[in-house]
Amino acid sequence: MIVKTLLAAIVAGLIAGVFMTAAQEMRVVPLILHAEKYEGEAPSADHPATQEPVAGHDQHSWLNGTSALGALLSTFSPVTPAHAHEHEGEHEEGGIMFGMSRFSGTLLANLVTGAGFSLLLAGVSLVIGYPITLANGAFWGAFGWLAVHLLPAIGLPPELPGFPAAELGDRQVWWAATVLLSAVALYLLALRRELVAKIAGLALIAAPQIYGAPQPLDISSNVPAVLGAEFAVAALATTLAFWLVLGVVSGFINDRFVKAH
Amino acid sequence: MATSTVSSIPLSLNDRLVAGISALLIGAFLVFGAGLANSAVLHDTAHDTRHSYGFPCH
Repeated sequence: MIVKTLLAAIVAGLIAGVFMTAAQEMRVVPLILHAEKYEGEAPSADHPATQEPVAGHDQHSWLNGTSALGALLSTFSPVTPAHAHEHEGEHEEGGIMFGMSRFSGTLLANLVTGAGFSLLLAGVSLVIGYPITLANGAFWGAFGWLAVHLLPAIGLPPELPGFPAAELGDRQVWWAATVLLSAVALYLLALRRELVAKIAGLALIAAPQIYGAPQPLDISSNVPAVLGAEFAVAALATTLAFWLVLGVVSGFINDRFVKAH
Repeated sequence: MATSTVSSIPLSLNDRLVAGISALLIGAFLVFGAGLANSAVLHDTAHDTRHSYGFPCH
């Protein structure tokens, strides 16, 4: 029964992952591709304050390695890209696993991410003892989106390739902490009756935002701001659709298959 | 109605917690691997996904 419960969550996540892959192709992926044209233009010498553009360039060598610009940069660079990777230390040679196409890689990552978020949602539901049903699935999805996307996006909006950003590790820690605190806060706000719980919930939502997300020292970017604004909204809208599908499909599968043991 | 089933017949409270915590651990592992892990291969494979989901990325 435990295995069946977990399998139900994984199946719901895979379905939502396939949906997400299709939804991304509408707005989000075209904007990423558009932004990458500008990202390649960023000469690393212009950003001495941060290492991000350099790291970004190296990690994207599979993208712009074939472009004329990449060839030009490597001509003028004192080190070859292979050496640059060695200097990065932890960054081994990149590339998409199993030699898949870019689209297949994205599909695979969406399936894994979908299954992961679905298991997290199911795990929360099981631990706190509130089932996900077809009737309340959309609410589960909406709350997942609030905790994982909207509330962290207040500090760290979805960013395009080539956008300036603070140290990656710092941002990841802030992001993960904010997701966790926001999820606990939403539980307190939505499912507990006590006044103290409501107040604690609001405080937990506010805490990471007041503490503040790590911000870059240098906010100049070659990527046009309009693309960034469009992308932030498109990414949030797309993930909202993903979470609603995830919640409703999870509820449907629970009602239909897990209940009928 | 996973949990109401759960509480009525098939899953005891103990089983429910085991299932829930297993789901949380496996889910966190998958999300970490796709979204946050500092590996060039994972990053490049999941690149567009990481940006679309708003994961902090390079």
